[in-house]
Amino acid sequence: MMTSNLDRSEQSRGDRARGWAYVREFVPAMLAYCVVLVLVLTFGDLDGTSPWRFLWAVLPVLPLIWVCITVVRHLRRLDDYQQRLTLQSLGVGFAVAMAVAVTMGLLGAAGLQTLVTPWIIFGAGMAGWGITSIVVARRA
Amino acid sequence: MKNTLRGLREDMGWTQGHLADRLDVSRQTVNALETGKYDPSLPLAFKIARLFDRSIEEIFDPDG
Repeated sequence: MMTSNLDRSEQSRGDRARGWAYVREFVPAMLAYCVVLVLVLTFGDLDGTSPWRFLWAVLPVLPLIWVCITVVRHLRRLDDYQQRLTLQSLGVGFAVAMAVAVTMGLLGAAGLQTLVTPWIIFGAGMAGWGITSIVVARRA
Repeated sequence: MKNTLRGLREDMGWTQGHLADRLDVSRQTVNALETGKYDPSLPLAFKIARLFDRSIEEIFDPDG
């Protein structure tokens, strides 16, 4: 059966506009985060003894807040259905992060201490979010 | 919930993307509506009904 020309699955103008708006806001915020991170790692003297090193260490949080704001603004631009799909993947990502946090906490109580624990939790949460986003988008 | 959205759209000669722009939603949402994976919110249902000049009941069948 011939596929109707009306069944094209290309994005609508609104989809493209929303996508570009996200890219326009997200990319500068991520670039700022990367720049600040490089500056902190280069000049922050994080291994030193100055109390200022703590201030240096948390400096990347500022552009990270900017990144979070761009993500929230993007979510607010989505329609109800897309917000529902996004909420599902965010929920799974959060659940995975919490499960890994509890697991690492229990392992820590048993004496397995590691400096990368927060990054493992972060990675697990992001992976949970990302993988679920792909699955949900394919099923939608 | 079944609906006649796909037929109405095709009668107008519109693509899913064009209908999405008319409704101010994503093409993905139009596709989900047409395939019955997503039941629209009340405001969106009214918007669809107004766009096609039909009542909501003519487009959406709650028993479907």
